Amino acid sequence: MTAPARRPLASYVVGNAGLRRPSADAWRTAGITVVCVLVACALAALLVAISGGSPTEVVDALVTGSVADSAGWSQTLVNAAPLLLVALGACIANRAGVFNIGQEGQLLIGAMLGCFVALRLQGPGWMVITVALVAAAAGGGAWSGISAAMYYTRGTNVVVTTLLLTFIAAQVVQFAVNSPSLLQETGIGNGPARPQSDAVPEYLRLASFGQYPDLTIGVGVILAVVATVVLAVLIARSRWGFRLNMLGLNPMAARHAGIRASRLGGSALVLSGAFAGLAGGVILLGTVFRLQPAISNNFGWDGLLVALVARSRPGLALPVAVLFGGLRAGSSYLAATGVPDYLVDVVQALLVLAFVVPPVLSALWGRRIRNRSAVPDTPARPSAAPAKEEVPV
Amino acid sequence: MSHDRARTDGSVPALELRGISKRYGPVVACDAVDLTVERGEVHGLLGENGAGKSTLMKVLMGLVSPDAGEIHRDGARVEVHTPQQAAGHGLGMVHQHFSLIEPLTVWENVALGEPGRIDRDAVCADVEAVGARYGLTIDPTARVERLSAGERQRVELIKALRRDPKVLVLDEPTSVLTIAESAALFEVLRTSVAAEGRGVILISHKLAEITAATDVVTVLRRGRLAFHCRTADTSAPELARRMVGRDVSLQAEGAALGLVVTDDPAKHLSPVLAGGLSAVPAEPPAPQAPADVPGTAALALHGLRLAGPDGRVLLDSLDLEVATGEIVALYGVEGNGQATLGDLLSGLIAPDAGEVHVAGRPVALDRPGALHEAGVGVIPEDRHRSGVVLDMSVADNLVMTDLRRYSGRLLMRRAKIRAQAEELVERFAIRTPSIDAPLRTLSGGNQQRVVLARELSAEPTVLVAAQPTHGLDVGAIEDMFARLREAAASGVAVLLISTELEEVMALASRIAVISSGRITGVLDVADASPQRLGMLVGGEAA
Repeated sequence: MTAPARRPLASYVVGNAGLRRPSADAWRTAGITVVCVLVACALAALLVAISGGSPTEVVDALVTGSVADSAGWSQTLVNAAPLLLVALGACIANRAGVFNIGQEGQLLIGAMLGCFVALRLQGPGWMVITVALVAAAAGGGAWSGISAAMYYTRGTNVVVTTLLLTFIAAQVVQFAVNSPSLLQETGIGNGPARPQSDAVPEYLRLASFGQYPDLTIGVGVILAVVATVVLAVLIARSRWGFRLNMLGLNPMAARHAGIRASRLGGSALVLSGAFAGLAGGVILLGTVFRLQPAISNNFGWDGLLVALVARSRPGLALPVAVLFGGLRAGSSYLAATGVPDYLVDVVQALLVLAFVVPPVLSALWGRRIRNRSAVPDTPARPSAAPAKEEVPV
Repeated sequence: MSHDRARTDGSVPALELRGISKRYGPVVACDAVDLTVERGEVHGLLGENGAGKSTLMKVLMGLVSPDAGEIHRDGARVEVHTPQQAAGHGLGMVHQHFSLIEPLTVWENVALGEPGRIDRDAVCADVEAVGARYGLTIDPTARVERLSAGERQRVELIKALRRDPKVLVLDEPTSVLTIAESAALFEVLRTSVAAEGRGVILISHKLAEITAATDVVTVLRRGRLAFHCRTADTSAPELARRMVGRDVSLQAEGAALGLVVTDDPAKHLSPVLAGGLSAVPAEPPAPQAPADVPGTAALALHGLRLAGPDGRVLLDSLDLEVATGEIVALYGVEGNGQATLGDLLSGLIAPDAGEVHVAGRPVALDRPGALHEAGVGVIPEDRHRSGVVLDMSVADNLVMTDLRRYSGRLLMRRAKIRAQAEELVERFAIRTPSIDAPLRTLSGGNQQRVVLARELSAEPTVLVAAQPTHGLDVGAIEDMFARLREAAASGVAVLLISTELEEVMALASRIAVISSGRITGVLDVADASPQRLGMLVGGEAA
């Protein structure tokens, strides 16, 4: 009865609320993580060697492209910003216990609406930019809102709907950039119009501070960092964050405490879509400048991975997003080493596994230790030596 | 202790456990326990939660391998490492929680797990033959999901008996049975099973059951063999003393151990109440408002009706009133709608029809938290399910139902939360390393205190306590009883949902009996006898 009940699987993904001194579990997890990362690096080196490259050259290229100089850092941060925004949204949904995996589609819809506003709305630059970013967020939120509505009215699985809506979003964007009446480019001269939108005019592009080759920091990066700080505080300290954690960790207890899951969980899902949409807007106005079917470029999927590795903590998502952004930036330098650049995806996947697997391994290990050291179904007593992690009655 | 007893008749015991020891890390679950079961004997195994009964039986059934000790069957040493080996040696067990597959029929469940080809007609014939022999009639083609708890137990018994066990173990067999069904079960054990020379081990924490139904009794305490005796040579108070390790005088403890009333209608009360044990139920706290004046009841349930997703009626026009300062018990056999009512009063589900009034005002049941705001505190039956969030801290768990009180417009007020948590930890004697410790690290009794502290700190009008002592040991039960009485004395209307007759008799001033989702009768505790309650529990009017 008092043997610790099984932790819900979600709690490994979500992590725990509140601050905590490192426990034996935490040290074990850290140790396993180090081992897993080393194994992942070794495997990556092996893969590079097998595919005919030299691991040292590859590391060299990755570093040159990402963190060797200020230009590299600029590239890293440009890549990290949308990853971070997507990850923040994923943190919100994960904490509420609803697993949104459709950020890629939400990001596309956001980029599409942002593009629509940027190309059609007349007005001063700051205003059009703001409206475009809000529209992008609204678009992403509406897209995940469809999943929320289906879940809370009919009980349709959120993972399934968010995933499948991603493919629909890709088709919608394809349609938009292939329809002259919607967003297809006007074309120059007699050349065939390609499946993409017109470029967003100069004055609507997101500003950045600093000039190449110095470090440049775009508005997208600032936006993402500010959002991270705000969200971290809200989740740790606000009533909304408390309720969100409660809902994710025990929906029944949350309902008893007066939380309406459809409202709080539904809004969390919409909000997570909105962050993905905002990321789409930032990519559009910050780096790509026109809507293309490939504009999402896996930022949605990778952002979700960032949240997974950070275990839904906004504060941790920041360094992880920088790491993943660095890998993206560095991968563009891989071509010179003769190694296919998709190898970076494999490395990234290995790293994700190396970070995601340890808590689960550690828990399984801990459970084995506990099973050996605690009597199942037995309350600890003051006289009998209590099991280590239990407080006696 | 028993194996070195000289055997004068030269017979060999059906089963002998010698020096069984099992440690889980620093905790000793079984410490050199000996147990001897003769042929044709009903052997009672008594002990508190955690005394080692279950571990010992798991060793016997090959579910746990012991650190030391031997098992002998008919005088020969046997190795039991798997449940299959246990079955091969003629050991059968009926577990406390039935291991039946509900959508399957009786004969399919009986045949389940047997190797080789399954012959439907042969199994059905077997079921009927075994049923006829032991008076356990059941239709082999009935679906288990349609059977009552008593009938399901019959299926388990038939399943075990069909394999012709030489020793049959029954783990807490009466926890889901009505009084009449319990009596019938003991009748079968005594007149048929034991009479055929089979040994029976009856595990229980209820003294009345042990004294009524066994020949020999063994008491375990903290993993050690505490006492062994012929049942006829001992008394319930002595067994209670052996079980707890000190004199049992408190009312609450007596009730916790099943001393106040007995489950057996045939011989209730008489032998049990000697030796300093009070037969009088605790003075019921005087109700401050008469319960029969309409509109003044602190909690009034009117015509609650609820059907499950499969269309089964869970609550059927349920009416009940609890007055301020009164403890009303809702008594019945498990699975008659208590869990549903508990969920409803926790605000987890809304009824199809009916109303809940708190202090005369109707509550909007479809709004989460409405019941709590109206002043209904709940100690849920399964605290892990809806009572606590295991991965949040003790402090967070103590305030989570009243967030508005502990937060500003946006941010939580940590200082206020900590102050409240420190105070409640102190007042309710919650043992925790710190208020920041995750609730998961607390023992069951302390987790339950967290729930109680939180619900009472909201100064509720009504407190619903569903099986509040389930899984707690005697000390924690005593504490819970005292807190519930204290709450009632301070003017809270307490609704105690319980399946333990002793608990009900010890705490409540009125007893409402629930059967198939209906209240079949409400008795003052003074008018309640096990027979009358038994009839109501079975669905008959008394």
